[in-house]
Amino acid sequence: MAVIDASSAQLESAVVAAGAKPRGRWRAWMRTWIPAGTVIFILAVCFLGPTVLPIPGATGGDVLESGQGPFSPGHLLGTDSNGNDVLSRLLSGGQASLLIGISVNVIGIVIGGTIGAVSAYVGGLFDTIVMRLLDVLIAFPSLVLTLAVAQSLGPSKRNTIFALAFFSVPAVARIARSSTLRLREMPFMQAAQLCGSPTWRILLRHVAPNVAPQLISFAALGMGIVIVTEGALSFLGLGIPAPAPSWGNMIFDGQQSMSATPLEVVWPSIALLVTVLAFNQLGENLRARWSGR
Amino acid sequence: MSAVSGLLPTRSGSGFGRLGRVAGSPLLRLIVKRVVMAIPILFGVSVLTFWVLSLIPGDPARAMLGMNATDQQVEALRQQYGLDKSGPARYWDWLTGALHGDLGISMVSSQSMSSMLGARWAVTAELVVLSFIVSLGVAVPVALLAARWPGGLFDRVSMVCSMTGLAVANYVLALLLVLVFAVELGWLPAIGYVHISDGIGGNLKSMILPTLAMAIPLFCFYTRFLRGDIVDQMQGEDYVDTARAKGVGPWRVLWSHAFRNSSFGLITIVGLNIGTLVGGTVIIEQIFALPGLGQLLLQGVNTRDTVVVQDLVIIFAAIAVLANLLVDVLYAVLDPRIRYGSH
Repeated sequence: MAVIDASSAQLESAVVAAGAKPRGRWRAWMRTWIPAGTVIFILAVCFLGPTVLPIPGATGGDVLESGQGPFSPGHLLGTDSNGNDVLSRLLSGGQASLLIGISVNVIGIVIGGTIGAVSAYVGGLFDTIVMRLLDVLIAFPSLVLTLAVAQSLGPSKRNTIFALAFFSVPAVARIARSSTLRLREMPFMQAAQLCGSPTWRILLRHVAPNVAPQLISFAALGMGIVIVTEGALSFLGLGIPAPAPSWGNMIFDGQQSMSATPLEVVWPSIALLVTVLAFNQLGENLRARWSGR
Repeated sequence: MSAVSGLLPTRSGSGFGRLGRVAGSPLLRLIVKRVVMAIPILFGVSVLTFWVLSLIPGDPARAMLGMNATDQQVEALRQQYGLDKSGPARYWDWLTGALHGDLGISMVSSQSMSSMLGARWAVTAELVVLSFIVSLGVAVPVALLAARWPGGLFDRVSMVCSMTGLAVANYVLALLLVLVFAVELGWLPAIGYVHISDGIGGNLKSMILPTLAMAIPLFCFYTRFLRGDIVDQMQGEDYVDTARAKGVGPWRVLWSHAFRNSSFGLITIVGLNIGTLVGGTVIIEQIFALPGLGQLLLQGVNTRDTVVVQDLVIIFAAIAVLANLLVDVLYAVLDPRIRYGSH
């Protein structure tokens, strides 16, 4: 997953388009709604679960209760080596991952989208300078840049968001720019210009709604990338600081005692896999739908 | 100029006329243009890295010497590493040093960066090269088989597998591989690196799991891309219809016509991947305890060794920039439309 680069994701061609047969339409519907339903389910469980379900807190467990297996009384998925409830940590960790993923992508769309659209619309020297600056940011391998930023700022949830936004913004900006460039040649844009609409109005009312679908489907793919990279940072001890749970630091904790209790690695790994898979599929299908394939 | 012109094929002539023809060749112009464009990017990368690392709160010299050091000791260290100078002055010192091949001295181990890099680059290079060989070596045949019968059983199985593989984080995959092949089955070592001088067999054995952890996501990505691209070519391109109408066999159309065209897209994404892949070695080298550049970077981050972090971040980014440059040039060399200047 980490190998997917923002710009190479664009290159990837979509799956064969669904045919016009009724069965094809049903399939296309399923293809969008199965991953969308999974995403909604994960969001609901992670954000509502800890308040609705009768489970203990994610931290502050008793060491005397450590290392219990699944289905032990009071702990559906057992406890970890500190005696904390694994299910509870899984849900809180998911909250952290999803919150970071959503924040980073919102920052990416708002800032990156604005930069890209304005840069393409204004054009000229401004566009050239902005693009060269983005080239510099894109040149950094995402994990390496985030490591450097995370070291500078120190591990915390807010700083993780900043560090990850550093490479989400340029990726989104590039996509917004290329689709704005295409829009600029459209007749309705010329009509708007001839009507004398101010630039901000054209950008807001004509460019933004047309660029949004592409950015949203990219953001769904971006969620997967961000969640995996956040996991990597936390795994390396530079993301969300312990004892607060995240899927990344749960995997790291589990790794320490992997030969004795492999399940401690397995649970957060499955959560990560399912979440990323759902977001990837959603992103690809939204793109296939909206690009008219 | 003459050194470059010697490398390029020219039919006849010598002296000024030949030079003029070579200098005017679209290929050379493109290469020069790309190289010129890469220089400001490399410059920007190093400035940005310097700037980001200068945001670190606190004094690295104080942090290194600990609480018991006297102010004089701290001051001496600050002077030794030029920390008393302003940011731009330090950047200038670093840049002039780096252009002369001097990347500075680690603040923690007091070794020169050049000697540390010299001992480690080969491990990372081996990991990256092996990952590319394995992932491309498997992805090309799988994608060809899948594209031969789109929608068939093999196609579906391979697409589901690659879709899942793409969603697996490489660190999860690495731990899974260790769990199965090292802990449960005991076939391969879980961690550690056997130097190539201690036997190539042991060396490769120690690299199997790290290589797989890097190569499997790559394989999935390449397979999906290549299969999709070949299917598009096979269904929509006139040259495919022409070849078929001539009576060329299906495998031959697939291999010599469709795949040959798709390989250009493949080259592009391989080039884009090199940077990300080298970045990914950070976490894989950490898990498998491989003494490469990625491990050094992480050590630098954890010991707050600014010199190490700064040099390695710049090196990693430079590799990505140079890989893209190489792809652009390769593209120009391989594509006859660019080579002969017609478009």
